[in-house]
Amino acid sequence: MNTFKFIVKRILIAIPVLIGVMLIIFLMLNVVPGDPVTLMMKEHIKPELIERMRVEMGLNDPVMVRFFNYIKNAARGDFGMSYKLNRNVTDLILNAFPHTVKLTIFAALIAWIIGIPAGIISAVKQNSLVDRFLMSFSLIGVSMPVFWAALMLQYFLAFKWKLLPVSGYATLKHMIMPAIVLGWSSAGTIARLTRSSLLEIMKDDFVRTARAKGLKERAVVVGHALKNAMLPVVTMMAIQVASLLSGAVITESVFGIPGIGRLAVNAIQTRDMPLLQGTVVFTTVLIISGNLIADLLYSVIDPRIRVE
Amino acid sequence: MEDIKVTDNETVEQLRQDYENMQAEIADTDGIMDKIKAMIKNNKLATISLIVILIFCFCAIFAPVVAPHDPTLQDYDNVRAHPSRDHILGTDELGRDVFSRIIYGARISLVIGIVPTTISMVIGTILGLMAGFMGKKVDFVIMRLADIMLAFPSLLLAMVVMYTLGASLINIFIALSVVNWAGTARVVRSQTLALKEKEFVEAAESIGVKKSVIMLRHILPNCLPSLIVLFTMDIPGSILSESSLSFLGIGAQPPASSWGLMVVNGKQWLFSEPWVAIAPGVAILILVLAFNFLGDGLRDAIDPYMKE
Amino acid sequence: MEKNRMKAFFIMVVITIMALTGCSKTDNVITPASGDNILRLVTADEQTTCDVQKTTEYYTMPLNIFERLVETQTNLDGTSELVPGLAENWDISDDGLIYTFYLRKGVKFQNGEEFKADDVVYTFERMLKPETNALNQDFIMAVKGAADMMEGTTDKLEGLEVIDDYTIKMTLEDPFAPFLANLATPGVSIYNRKFTEEAGDQFGLMPEKTCGTGPFMLSKWELNSETQIDAFDGYWKGRPKLDAVNFKTVKDADTQRMMFENGELDEFDCDEAPSQIAYFAESDKYKDWIKVGNRVGTTYYSINQGIEPFNDVRIRKAFQMSFDKQQLLNTLYDGRGTVANGIIPPGLIGYNPDLPEIKYDPEKAKKLMSEAGYPNGFEMDICMVTDSPDTLRINEMVQSMLSKVNIKANIVQKDEASWYGVRAEGNLGSYTSTWSADFNDPDNFFYTFFAPQNTVKRSFNYDNPEASNKVAEARKMNDQDERIKLYQELEKQIIQEDAAWVPLYSRQHIYVVNPRVQNYVVMWNGWTGNMYYNMYIDNTKAPQ
Repeated sequence: MNTFKFIVKRILIAIPVLIGVMLIIFLMLNVVPGDPVTLMMKEHIKPELIERMRVEMGLNDPVMVRFFNYIKNAARGDFGMSYKLNRNVTDLILNAFPHTVKLTIFAALIAWIIGIPAGIISAVKQNSLVDRFLMSFSLIGVSMPVFWAALMLQYFLAFKWKLLPVSGYATLKHMIMPAIVLGWSSAGTIARLTRSSLLEIMKDDFVRTARAKGLKERAVVVGHALKNAMLPVVTMMAIQVASLLSGAVITESVFGIPGIGRLAVNAIQTRDMPLLQGTVVFTTVLIISGNLIADLLYSVIDPRIRVE
Repeated sequence: MEDIKVTDNETVEQLRQDYENMQAEIADTDGIMDKIKAMIKNNKLATISLIVILIFCFCAIFAPVVAPHDPTLQDYDNVRAHPSRDHILGTDELGRDVFSRIIYGARISLVIGIVPTTISMVIGTILGLMAGFMGKKVDFVIMRLADIMLAFPSLLLAMVVMYTLGASLINIFIALSVVNWAGTARVVRSQTLALKEKEFVEAAESIGVKKSVIMLRHILPNCLPSLIVLFTMDIPGSILSESSLSFLGIGAQPPASSWGLMVVNGKQWLFSEPWVAIAPGVAILILVLAFNFLGDGLRDAIDPYMKE
Repeated sequence: MEKNRMKAFFIMVVITIMALTGCSKTDNVITPASGDNILRLVTADEQTTCDVQKTTEYYTMPLNIFERLVETQTNLDGTSELVPGLAENWDISDDGLIYTFYLRKGVKFQNGEEFKADDVVYTFERMLKPETNALNQDFIMAVKGAADMMEGTTDKLEGLEVIDDYTIKMTLEDPFAPFLANLATPGVSIYNRKFTEEAGDQFGLMPEKTCGTGPFMLSKWELNSETQIDAFDGYWKGRPKLDAVNFKTVKDADTQRMMFENGELDEFDCDEAPSQIAYFAESDKYKDWIKVGNRVGTTYYSINQGIEPFNDVRIRKAFQMSFDKQQLLNTLYDGRGTVANGIIPPGLIGYNPDLPEIKYDPEKAKKLMSEAGYPNGFEMDICMVTDSPDTLRINEMVQSMLSKVNIKANIVQKDEASWYGVRAEGNLGSYTSTWSADFNDPDNFFYTFFAPQNTVKRSFNYDNPEASNKVAEARKMNDQDERIKLYQELEKQIIQEDAAWVPLYSRQHIYVVNPRVQNYVVMWNGWTGNMYYNMYIDNTKAPQ
């Protein structure tokens, strides 16, 4: 029941945060010269039409009026129509979202299935060659520009060696490269975190006690140290899902995956306010939920820890 | 905490003496340089990284001397030339020497790494100190602001800022610092909260030392180890973010040619003249790795208890 | 106890993942295999709608799904001519004011309805009604009563008269020589009244809501992913030989290129990567795959006469002489194109191959600049849109060329919306762009740039009102030969004497096409997207 109150409290706090985010974007996009109508016409600009369309879209109303109208509708679930794409924003997001989810989950799986064992092995064989190698590899994942990693993988795996399709998202095969690209840096972070967390725990007294009792090394690690070391790691995992979701922007662009990231980038470039707001709200809700789950997990896994 | 009523000069003098003794014990800042020297002796990887970084800085500062050619000199007869004695890394699509462009590019990339990180650390530190020290209300507001920043997908926020302000180097600084201060603020805040309970702080408050002085003179130095490590580890983030922004078309703009931009422009040559894109990519990788290794080494040496 | 908790947690995670993966829509994409009779194409920039009245740049779908009264046919040698489309033939009155169209009988829309004159009326009225917010109205603005309809003061277009189901008479406000050519543009595609009214504002957004008389039907459109048009069995000319044309949406040019070289695509558009033209042209594998189309368009550098010192004609002339155009073509486009000295490009009616050349002469330029009072040069801005690497290369070369005549050019990048916004205000510094023909008439070029209010909107601020007015008047002239003569005079006036802009070159449009594709012809103007009706696939000619 404490948990319930906790969740409610966090949700209540999240609302002003959401509104704050929306307000910031709204204001920023309104300050600049260049409006969606002029952009739609581009080379075929027709002065007579511009003013009329602006009035119709409500672009000439004062900013705060427009913002209030927007919030009012958003509260009912109506995020308006995309300026450029002429479709309902909610529909656009709901159609794009599953692709991003798929990509994120695969990336997260790769990150965790590779990252956690790598971290454990490194910690157990601390300072050995294996340790050095794994940690360097993790670090490289965190040190490359995402589009660069994508390009290299595409070039070698798809183009040179023809092992995988160059782009697309239809089958599992298509998703392998995007998932690797997106998950690599997360894998690196998780591996390093697991390693350092485990190392710290292993120095602790109770581990020494367990060893003193004569238990086998492996039992010591798996049975006692790992469980406690996983605390910060699991928290990080929940947080990472959220940032993976938003970090998918570049991966989706390179591999042609029609997800939320692509929608958001297009929206920014075409000053498509409703669409941008919709995608940002959506992603923000996801990130906030991710943090919320992380905090909850913390308390679930170790009941000694009371939330806030 | 009770207020200590000060009634006579001797007690004041005694308190002041105790307080300064405690300061000397706890503020370990003088130890930092020693710890760094120890690190240099023991941690080869970190030392090499430091040297690499210094080499890059040297190249950046003395670019006109180090670079064999003028990086903007176009030579249409010598387009996309293979690496040769005259052009160590060949030429790009307008005949400019790639090696010289990389050397000059170091300026941009280093500046993009350091300046926004510095700004965001300063902002984050100030806000974090205030949040930890100035009472519940201030804490609440600042932490909600930080939540908003962290709830926002950082790449998208940077894009929106760039579109609002226009694409230029200064605006990149603004965009990247705006996006990154919240992490620092959180760390500083939690350290401030922990330090706040310490006796010497309470003592200082009771003598009547001003809050701002306490924050600056006493709490801040104790945060310094974490800040140094954070600084070194955030720089790669800025460099990589800028190259992502360049990929999306809204990063550093010519003539300021960052390595990220060189990679983005050069990647269409991957199939025939790969050095045009690979060389700057490798440069990014080396510099970022160097900062990461250095950060790891610093953290192990100075602040082994810092949680990520 | 705690161990079980962990186990339970992980099991829960795995189940969630499996559920989510299963739920997501993987049913969509059928990747056409290489042996099919389906043309496999790719686009970087997907259409926002198939409703051509709501767009000014996405013409590929309308060209193949809809049809027009008159069509522009591209011959194999690249020339073009106006041929009958949905109108079998037509009469034009002597004064050029009345056009009577005799419509083709028995043409079916893709929903089964028969094409009748009423559909033409509906299409025109829809385009002009203010509620539609159509962007292509200028193509039919010549019709009498169009202005009133656009204001909303009437809901019937005065200049249209239906004589019977297959005959329609159009009366113009003033004679407008390019009228027929305008009717052939994709923008005046004919819609079916019944279907389009029912579809409402969803028209053109999805297969169920898109319908025309053309050879292909919209069969699939997944946003940001894939579009496909299938052959229409009931097409009046007979079903196309292709079963379908499939367009994948891939923004990244290098990904496109890898897909093409891997055999996943039938065509690679070198506009996506002009720097790679040499690679394809010189490779043994691809050199016979190259298809060249003439781009009926001129790439130019604008001059904003509202910004000093460009108000002085000597400076403008000096500016014109500072560009080494052939070098630009050679370095950036493998030399594929023609240097331009005027406004009208090759391929357009009225092209004058004998215009005096604007020579690249930096010495003379410097002299002129001294005469005008700038012996040490001056500073200026070149404005471009961010994320345009090809434009950037042009600008970087130009920047370097200008520095040789002591002009210090700063390259200023703005995002697209700002760029168009500032330009519309008349305040944008010099920029480079390409204007390609919508229809085959010089009016499409002259009017667009040098008519009085357009020259402000494009940040030219051309200040020769006499010439500007002549441009507006030339539309109304009836005698084609007289008109061409006038345009050619104006061309010399605007470019050579007033030096109002810097023509650079006309580029070719290069495609690399898999040899299994037969009858591949690039659209006459080199840009609006191709028409696929005549193409077909012969898999025996596919590469090994």
